[in-house]
Amino acid sequence: MVGVVELASRPPQDSPPAWLAMALDQPPLDVRAALAQGEDPLGLLMEAADGVGFGGFLVVDAPFNPSPLRRILAARGFSSYGRCLGSGHWRIYFHLNGAADWEHDSEVALLEEGAMVWREADGLHVDVRKLSPPHPMLAILRLIESTPDLSGLVVHHERLPQYLLPELAERGWCVARVVEEFQDVRLWLERGA
Amino acid sequence: MFAGAFMMGAKDRLLSPIIPFRFFASAIVFHVAGWAVLSWGAETALGFVGGTGAVLAALHLITLGVLAMTAMGAAYQMLPVATRRQLGPAWVCSLSWWLFNPGIVLLVMGLAGGWGAALDLGGFLCVAALSLFGLLVARNLLQVTDLPAVTWPAWVAVACLAGLLVLAVLLVLDMDVGLLVNRPAVAAAHALLAGYGFMGMLVVGFSAVLLPMFVLAKPVDDAAGKRVAVIAALALLAGLLGTLWGENLVQGAGSILGLVALGFYFAVQRRVLASRMRKKLEPFFRLLKAGWGLQVLSLLAALALVSGAPAEIMAPLWGWLLVFGWLLSFATGILQRIMPFLASMHSGAKGGKPVLLSQLTSPRLLDIHAVLHLAAVVLMAVALFFDLPLVARVAAFCGLGGAMAFAGFALVMMHVYRAHERST
Repeated sequence: MVGVVELASRPPQDSPPAWLAMALDQPPLDVRAALAQGEDPLGLLMEAADGVGFGGFLVVDAPFNPSPLRRILAARGFSSYGRCLGSGHWRIYFHLNGAADWEHDSEVALLEEGAMVWREADGLHVDVRKLSPPHPMLAILRLIESTPDLSGLVVHHERLPQYLLPELAERGWCVARVVEEFQDVRLWLERGA
Repeated sequence: MFAGAFMMGAKDRLLSPIIPFRFFASAIVFHVAGWAVLSWGAETALGFVGGTGAVLAALHLITLGVLAMTAMGAAYQMLPVATRRQLGPAWVCSLSWWLFNPGIVLLVMGLAGGWGAALDLGGFLCVAALSLFGLLVARNLLQVTDLPAVTWPAWVAVACLAGLLVLAVLLVLDMDVGLLVNRPAVAAAHALLAGYGFMGMLVVGFSAVLLPMFVLAKPVDDAAGKRVAVIAALALLAGLLGTLWGENLVQGAGSILGLVALGFYFAVQRRVLASRMRKKLEPFFRLLKAGWGLQVLSLLAALALVSGAPAEIMAPLWGWLLVFGWLLSFATGILQRIMPFLASMHSGAKGGKPVLLSQLTSPRLLDIHAVLHLAAVVLMAVALFFDLPLVARVAAFCGLGGAMAFAGFALVMMHVYRAHERST
């Protein structure tokens, strides 16, 4: 796993695509065990891809960034977004949308609550979408408390986290700005504002 | 974008603050009233095994006025957020409050003085209010496929609510037309479903949501939550059937199963607390811990009762430990944490800086409440066991003092909250 502190010192990355929020619900098809046993999961993956209708999603867990697979599926109309969740673990989100934005990657840290953390040009981002309560609040507060030099944090949430407000206020943080998009409510948190 | 618009997208799940706070305000008033009525007839609690009068009135002021009222306010606010599903129209929540308050007052007048008309009308209004609550909760739960640690105990609570309301109607009708063959058994079944079933299972469900949120811990594991709900449901079924059939062995099995369920519940809560980020437990937790201990004692008292211990001692002691011991300690513990939390949350809804939780609490008043409340619980238990009327009166006055301190805390909190609202 990439550490949060280590991640903060790396070059900034692109924002995840807007459609990612809808893909987070999909259970991943994990091919790591098959590959470890020397089996080729391509047939299984193609079969799974055949079952995806236009606008649908496919999520694959692999031990490496499966670039050949991503190119094959891009030719069939799939955009993809890959996240390196740690050593030997990539999660690739495929979306059948005519390969409009066909390939993005991101190196993320995975918090114990399941939240993903990465760095963009405007600072550290954390994605707590699809986590059950109170995991989103725990992940955000854990990041804030464990990173003393953190002055701002961008949160990707699926709703406005009302119950977070009192906890943020107690820690001297506040919500400076909110942008609501479909399944992606972004909150810019600031320390001491 | 932020100012003024922050909470707009959450309107479907976040109620106007006036709805939960109305319920909490009523709970605080009925809390004082309950202890006041008990102070008036404290001596009659000794050997109480049923019948109208001050004790039954005080008991219903606490069960309906404080416990159910708190549960309704908290559930209306928290359940839709926890389950991420809509609860229902806000006006139905308000309607249940408008029906419930006069209902409780009339019912309690009927129970205190044996007035049939007040009892009938009060009973009708209370049944209507609680039915609305049950329907709203059931409607919300029907939409939820995940969160079994919350939904399973909540479903058991809703089923028990339906059962206790049917028995309540029978008990009221029986006073008018005398239709029950074994009224004491039906009254005991009503108490069991209300105390352990409706309120007890709501406590289990709330514990899976509120406690992890308040101590900043991982939520309750699904399998463990289901296990507690299933064993508790079996315990309730055995207790109910044993009570209605007059079978002590079945009742005893219910008590033992209840203790087993409690053991699993404690194990679940221990895991929650072990994973918490907030290392120092806040003062409200002392009441929760006391309540848990008293819950064990109430089940042991129930076991002693069905094992042949004298009913005139053990029956009132069981009811005392269950209602004033476990449930009232838990409810006041949750109230003193949830009210400032919601006030702080709503104070930030307009985009300004929320008023801090620490500014909304009055530690000294809460200390006074905790000391007097626990003194009242212990003293009354001693009075009931050793038949000491004077100690019973002192206990009731301690409880009244504690309730007034608690009301003082709520008034200070609302004053700070409203001052903050006026300044933003």
